[in-house]
Amino acid sequence: MLSEGAVKEINELTGKYANSRSVVMPALYVVQREYGYITEEGMREVANILGLRPIQVFEIATFYTMYNKKPVGKYHIQVCTNISCSLLGAEYIVDVLSKKLGIKVKETTPDKKFTLSAVECLGSCGTAPMMQINDNYYEDLTEEKIEEILKSFR
Amino acid sequence: MNGNHYNLNLKDILKKVFFVDLIQGLFITFNYTFSKTITLRYPDEEKWIPYRRFRGLHTLNRNKEGKELCVGCELCQKSCPTQCITVVPMQDKTGKGIADRIAYRWEINLLRCMFCGLCEDACPTEALKLGREYELANTSMQRSLWTKEELLAAQEIPVEFDGGVIVRARLERDDKGLKVIPDMSVQKRWW
Amino acid sequence: MATVKINGKEITVEDGTLILEAAKGAGFDIPTMCYHARLSKLASCRVCLVEIVGQKKLQPSCVTPVMHGMEVLTESPVVKSARSSMIELLLANHPLDCPVCDKGGECELQDVTFKFGPRNSPFGERKRRFHEEDYILSPVIIQNINRCIQCKRCVRICDEVVGASVLGSIERGAKTGETSFVKEYLDCDHCGNCIEVCPVGSLMSRPYRYQSRPWDLKGVDTVCTYCGTGCQLTVQARNGEILRVISKPDKGINNETLCARGRFGYSFINSHERFVTPMIRKGGTLEPVPWNEALKAIKDGLTEAMKDGRKTGGIASGRLSNEELYLFQKLMRGVFKTNNIDSGSRWNTGAVKSFANVMELNKGGISVYDALNADTLFIIGSSISDENPITDYLIRRLSRNKKMNIIIASPRGLKLDSSATLSLRHRPAAEGDILGGIAKVIYDKNMDKLKDLTGKEHLKNISRENIPDLTWTDWSSIESVSGFMLSANSITIAVGNDVLRGPSRIESMHILAEALRLLGKDVKLFPVFDRANQRGAWEMGVHPDILPGYSFRDGDGLGSEGIIDAASRGEVGALYVVGEDIVSDFPDGGFVREALRQVKFLIVQDIFLTETAKMAHVVLPGASFVEKDGTFTNQEGRVQRLRKFIEPQGDAKADWEIIASIGEAVEPSFHYGSVSDIFKEIKGAVPMYRGIDFEGLDGNGAIVKGSGIGGQGAGVVAGFSLRPKSEVRSQEQETPDPEYPFILITGNHLYHSGRLSLKADTLRDILPEAVVEMNEEDAKAMGVSKGDKVKVKGDRYEATLTAHINKRSVRGVVFIPENFTDVPVNMFFTKGKGFPRVKVLPLSSLSPQGRGPG
Repeated sequence: MLSEGAVKEINELTGKYANSRSVVMPALYVVQREYGYITEEGMREVANILGLRPIQVFEIATFYTMYNKKPVGKYHIQVCTNISCSLLGAEYIVDVLSKKLGIKVKETTPDKKFTLSAVECLGSCGTAPMMQINDNYYEDLTEEKIEEILKSFR
Repeated sequence: MNGNHYNLNLKDILKKVFFVDLIQGLFITFNYTFSKTITLRYPDEEKWIPYRRFRGLHTLNRNKEGKELCVGCELCQKSCPTQCITVVPMQDKTGKGIADRIAYRWEINLLRCMFCGLCEDACPTEALKLGREYELANTSMQRSLWTKEELLAAQEIPVEFDGGVIVRARLERDDKGLKVIPDMSVQKRWW
Repeated sequence: MATVKINGKEITVEDGTLILEAAKGAGFDIPTMCYHARLSKLASCRVCLVEIVGQKKLQPSCVTPVMHGMEVLTESPVVKSARSSMIELLLANHPLDCPVCDKGGECELQDVTFKFGPRNSPFGERKRRFHEEDYILSPVIIQNINRCIQCKRCVRICDEVVGASVLGSIERGAKTGETSFVKEYLDCDHCGNCIEVCPVGSLMSRPYRYQSRPWDLKGVDTVCTYCGTGCQLTVQARNGEILRVISKPDKGINNETLCARGRFGYSFINSHERFVTPMIRKGGTLEPVPWNEALKAIKDGLTEAMKDGRKTGGIASGRLSNEELYLFQKLMRGVFKTNNIDSGSRWNTGAVKSFANVMELNKGGISVYDALNADTLFIIGSSISDENPITDYLIRRLSRNKKMNIIIASPRGLKLDSSATLSLRHRPAAEGDILGGIAKVIYDKNMDKLKDLTGKEHLKNISRENIPDLTWTDWSSIESVSGFMLSANSITIAVGNDVLRGPSRIESMHILAEALRLLGKDVKLFPVFDRANQRGAWEMGVHPDILPGYSFRDGDGLGSEGIIDAASRGEVGALYVVGEDIVSDFPDGGFVREALRQVKFLIVQDIFLTETAKMAHVVLPGASFVEKDGTFTNQEGRVQRLRKFIEPQGDAKADWEIIASIGEAVEPSFHYGSVSDIFKEIKGAVPMYRGIDFEGLDGNGAIVKGSGIGGQGAGVVAGFSLRPKSEVRSQEQETPDPEYPFILITGNHLYHSGRLSLKADTLRDILPEAVVEMNEEDAKAMGVSKGDKVKVKGDRYEATLTAHINKRSVRGVVFIPENFTDVPVNMFFTKGKGFPRVKVLPLSSLSPQGRGPG
């Protein structure tokens, strides 16, 4: 069940959009925040609140890659692998992270703390290579910097 | 030239008197008495094994794992010019066939079949092949209707066997009728 | 009008015509995949690309309208190569498993590829595969997404026409697939329209799975006999075994749509439960006999039973053909000299007469398309989404892109509510008061113009104060309905036959229609029936007070209620029941059983040994709808042909043959050789049918024309009274009983119709057992959730059922479908008392062990 606050938030969102189908995307972010990922139950609840059929929510949730359809760790590390970051060694950054965490891309550490994914451009090409952990950017990455960042989370 | 007149020389006369042409002919005939026999002593002693390309009784085949190749697509039935094939497909989850669709019934009426082989061409899974069995004569109409189970059984002549030879055979009679059983080990060329 | 040149051929078409349609009209074939004439346009497949001279890029012809002076090329080299590449791309991921695909042979992709496509492909990559095995979405639908070409036709039809919205496309790009939400499909209409529109073998019918190939099937275009909508369908069989029912896009009012019953409800025809020989009761049991013996027994039995001036009666089903019904009433009236006939036994005979009157059935039929071409559509007295699903689909589809206000008044929540502008929830049997209330508001607002309104004195009983009590609806919503009607120019009022089930005083309908007409509105009245030939039955005169062609009379004839009453007093000597299971239908199960025991000689003609047939002295095996010829008149008044396709099973005979031979046995001149002979006679007897050519009836049928019999013109016909004499006790006088808080209503379920559909095993798979539907809050208050077992208890009967929740139903009402043999809902009813009151007990609170089985 979504918390009361989340339901309230979705209901408030309804007022900001022309029709209820437009609310699905921000509402799914609320679900993702609540559950950590988009659950079947969460999609049903969104559909229920917005007066849609569950399939209409399901369509949107699967279309966009930034909704996690599977559980992710406490810290979701998303490394940009688009051109600018790639030129400045994004693949190397992924390798380093992968080695340090002992997981491959799209995997989660056994302690459910970290999930590593390679994503498309995060809009911070000026400070490439970069990654995003949950809602924060970590820019101009080097191996040492990664070490430091990971240490701060452990 | 006068058409009514021709020369009759002595040589010709002698030839006629002593039946030379006849003797020459009979000599050839007589010679065969001592040559290799090419008459087929079928069905009592010998049997002709056809080449692989022969179009005889249909066979339904299995793949290496022993699964039925026929998927009951009915294309053989559709392609048959004499409409002698009946296929009824069904769903089968037991893994009998290569797909979950197999033939529930696969029947051919050989009285109508003209062994054109179009069904073989139409078969998408190479399940259906025209085999080398050709002793299809029988006394009952019912015996001419061959079903899937009978056709799935391996034919007497193995597929690996090249054919185009005569083998020793023996005729056997039982209550079902006559049967010519080949012995593949003893074979000879026709010529 | 726009003049365009297509491939050099000049044609003139309406403005806004799509290039595709214009080209089709001009005789050019443009292939399409995602295009569907009656769905929204998507233009995603790009197979229909055409070249417009002067434009650099090719345009999809399915969404591009023509413009004056446009020059279109559909066969230029550029078009050809583009088209071929598009097909190649569709095939890039489409598995070539045609031999095992059920669609093979009738696959649109196959056809298009053969005609326009490339014969080879450079794509060497592995094709995408979502799953190895086909998976089951619902009892009737099985899916193979690997074959999906993302045309989204299924998604669109499910959303725009069916309104179930359980399908959607998930993922993106090359991985897209059409599917449903987790287990959501189990909740849909099971109509199979997604199967019908799927151009490839992605969605397939489960009952038809791996049964045959389309070229093996022989079919006949006939009419569905499940409800009054009268859909055209094509029954297809292989070697006499019926394998599937399909709909054809160019046939009938339904086009490609069918409902679960129409599409999957055919298997009763080959059911082993059918009885196929005549049977006579010998020493307590029914024993098979040959026909001549049965007929002789009937003749002897009738003579014996009618001694001492005992009455004769006949009840025929509204599911027989016009010819059979005509013959039936002729047999009863002409040979047995009685007016005691009726069609069906569920309704009050007087109410039926008023209904036929107020709905102006004698003024001829009206096409559903004309009826839906209105500003305001008011639906009352019908669970239209359940009883007439295709009418529901039509309304949803036609109202989608049109400004039409749909107002629904019903005790139950309907699927169509989602398309409605306003939905009223009222108490059962309050239809008349709602209509009266609307008329009252209209009258009050336009008193000067409506001075001459007939029946205005009846409106005095209705007021702002008593409406909430009478109808459970507040005055303001009645006012807003009137507002919608007053603001509209054309109004269609669709009235279903649920108004006949209770004391609903449908006569107010007449006042309302009259008032609106006096105000200069175009009012169309559209009846909605749950029996396929109910309208035909009345038109043929199967009613004590209606002679063929709606000659109304006041006579001594008894309706079904009267016959059963008389039977209970032992006055009925012989009763002939055709195709009707009165024991299960008559709204007092106990009473009708007792009454039929008193009947000296009961003849029942049916397909299955129904409860009624089990009590009969003689049972005669009739034919199912594919085993006989005839015509059906649907709710619109559209006469359509029923076509014989296979021979009746065993010794069964077409019902008209049986009726004719009974007649002939008693009266030798009663002889009929063929259905067309009977139809010829009908044309003589029923003026409305005069213009109909029996042989020429095609997929669209023919709509009956008004006969003008009675001659009163504007709907008022002879014998019309605003209060029929046999009005049953009104519901509102009843004080609510706190012990029995719910009102029980009944009707057909979406998956079942009458008793016949229960014998179709596919439909039984979809809904195997009886359910009780209730409001969500009522259920919550009792702690009942969907699927729980509950006990429904009335004062005479109780039953254990599975609970279903309808979010939008009115509180205090439960619905039990009338279709299930094991829960004969008519046992709850008491004759003459309207809808029964019941209480609902959750089983978990009854037994300490917890919930019941299942």
